[in-house]
Formats: sequence, structure tokens, C-alpha cells
Amino acid sequence: MQLTVFNGSPRGKGSNTKVLVDQFLDGFMKGNGNSYKIVYLNTTKDSDYLIKMFEEAEKFLLAFPLYVDSMPTIVKTFIESLEPLCGRKENPDIGFLVQSGLPESIHSRYVERYLKKLSARLGCSYMGTIIKGGVEGAQAKPVWMNKKLFNSFYQLGKTFGETGKFDEEIVDRLAQPERYSKIHLWLFKLFGKFWYWDTMLKKNNAFEKRFNKPYLEVK
Amino acid sequence: MTSKKMKITILNGNPQADNIKFDSYIDTLTGLLKSNRHTVTAFKLRDMDIKHCIGCWSCWVETPGECIISDNSGEICKSYINSDFVIFASPVIMGFTSALLKKAMERLLPLVHPYFEVVNGEIHHLSRYDRYPLMGLIIQKGRDTDEEDIKIISDIYMRSAINIKTSLRFTKLTDGSVEEVVNAINSI
Repeated sequence: MQLTVFNGSPRGKGSNTKVLVDQFLDGFMKGNGNSYKIVYLNTTKDSDYLIKMFEEAEKFLLAFPLYVDSMPTIVKTFIESLEPLCGRKENPDIGFLVQSGLPESIHSRYVERYLKKLSARLGCSYMGTIIKGGVEGAQAKPVWMNKKLFNSFYQLGKTFGETGKFDEEIVDRLAQPERYSKIHLWLFKLFGKFWYWDTMLKKNNAFEKRFNKPYLEVK
Repeated sequence: MTSKKMKITILNGNPQADNIKFDSYIDTLTGLLKSNRHTVTAFKLRDMDIKHCIGCWSCWVETPGECIISDNSGEICKSYINSDFVIFASPVIMGFTSALLKKAMERLLPLVHPYFEVVNGEIHHLSRYDRYPLMGLIIQKGRDTDEEDIKIISDIYMRSAINIKTSLRFTKLTDGSVEEVVNAINSI
């Protein structure tokens, strides 16, 4: 099986998206005769090249972080360039990975609807959308904290490499929680991830300025 | 009915100069809003220098409230946050608003705060400012745009509105009349 992956993160090779995709690909490559190509949209601007890569793909995975409730601009630019290929018979099977900083899957469900419709618009067979929330900061975490997450992506890639399908059970598990329960919300408020931002703000000597309103016009 | 005089910002996300119909719709709308005594700032995004958000979070943890990339996006942020109403406008391309409009939208990130809060039982980021403009969406259908596309776009903007601390008041098509949009704004 041949898989082409487009990483649509503006952070490119430093992205959380890459960390998840790498695990997926490790699993995928366990399959006999499997091969992949990967393209980073933040550094590859040649639209003709991108279209060619899409045209030649057998299976296509578009992976990106949720940016203001939808795809990052570089991903939308790429999607716009595919307009001439709508309904082309040889279009690849297409699947998506959407990861978000916000912890619940509900945030990504709206763009998921768009992606499903996009697949139909292109005439691609839709393989599904993998949704994973709460990924921000994953790279700062110690190895053991990411073990479960990474293993899920490895397993997802492995079964995909064997069957050409996303394992529904793993996809469902990754998408938890869809929403937080009242108790979780209460815990979140109590222990909120403020320290995460405060650590960075303090490191940058910007903590005192954190509530600045620089664009406000005084009436 | 005497309507409230408002400050209105229009983000024109039409990427193509030869889509004259769209720009002239926005021009007519701008004129009519002005004649209704509103103050209007219309940004033609394609003529502006707006770079991509690179997700560096400087606007949250380094220079709070301001982006470190220097281009025209600061101008947009300033007009945006000091407005009562903001109109996002774009032709529909491949089932969504333009990459151009998305680019401008992503650069509004300095207007919110990195801290979290719970809104309608969901985690969202906190407000940075005390008030945010209401939001309206104007789209021009493409050849293949159907009802489902419009619903998806509208729902995504409804979600974005929550994240920019406001609510989406309407989604209008450029097929409709400009008066319809002005009436919707005047009735607020």
C-alpha cells in the first residue's frame, strides 16, 4: 500500500501533528511492501507539485491542527488548488487527522463535517477523520505520559497498513472525551492549565503584561 | 425606527479582482451602511500585507495581546476590537470561505487570552477585552455550493464566534439584497 501524507501544520516539522503522524507511520510501515511520502505544507509552496503528489497518491492522509475551528490557511489554500480535480475518477482514497489544543472532540466535529463533504466534492472515497484533542504540550511531556497516546496512533497506523481502513474502535477511543463531564469541568477550573501559560509568560518576562489590551482605543 | 449608530468593520475576503460582482456588492453595502449613519471601515484583504499565523504564541506569552509579525494585521485587530459589528465576507471556494479570509481570521488570535474558561460546558480561551463586536457572515455561492455547504460554513462561523467571544447574528448570501443586511444590522 502506498500512502501520501500532507502535514498541514504551520509549525511543520516542529508540530504536534508530526509527532502523531510519525507514530502512525511507524505502525503503517510494519505492513508488507508499504511505502509512504510526506509533504510539509508550511514549506512546500509549489502548487503544481502538491497537485501532482495528490494525483499520484493511492491513499491520502491530510493531517492538521484545528485553527479557529477549521483548517489552517495553508491547508485551505491547498484545498482550493484541488478544484480542477473535483470528480476525477482516479482520485485517491482520502482520510484526515485533526488534532486540537483544546481537550474535547466537540471542537473538531464541525470541520469534520466539512472534510466529509470535501471528500464527496472531490469524488474521493472517504476513509474517515481521526480526531484527537488536548495535544498541545505533548512534546514537553515526559515519555511515559505520551505512551498511551503514541501507542494508539501506532496501532491505528498498523491496522491501516494491513486493512487500508482506520480502526473504528481506536478512532472512537482517541476522540474521548467528546465533552467533559461536570466533574471534569470542575476539576479543570480548579487545577486549570494556567501554570502552562504562566510558566511561559514568566520565562519571557511577560507575566505582568499578560492582561494587556494594546488595541483598545480610549473613548 | 431610529437605529443605533454603530462602528462596523468589513473584512472583504474576495481573493480575485475579476470577481467584480462580489466587490461591488460590498461597495454598495458599505455605502448604504454609511447612509444609515454607521461608521464603516472596509478592508480589501487581497490588497493588504497579511502574513500567515505560524502558531508561535508570541501574542499570548511573549508580547501579550500583540503579534510579533509586522504587517497590516495590527490595523485589522485595532479596527476589529473597537467595532460594534464585524462582517466576514467571502465567495465560497471548495465549500468554504476563502483562504484569504481565513488568513486574516487566524491573525485575530491576539484579541483573546490564552487562559481557559468554561463556556456552555466546553473549554474555551478567555476574553482579553471587555467587549467584542457582534459578527455577521456574507457569502457568495459558487457554482457547486448547496444548502449543506452553507449550513456547514455557517456552523463553523457560529463556533468561531464563541471563540472570539461573540455570537453570529446572521449568514446572508450575496444573492439577496443589500437592504436585507442593513436591516438586520439596524435591528440590533
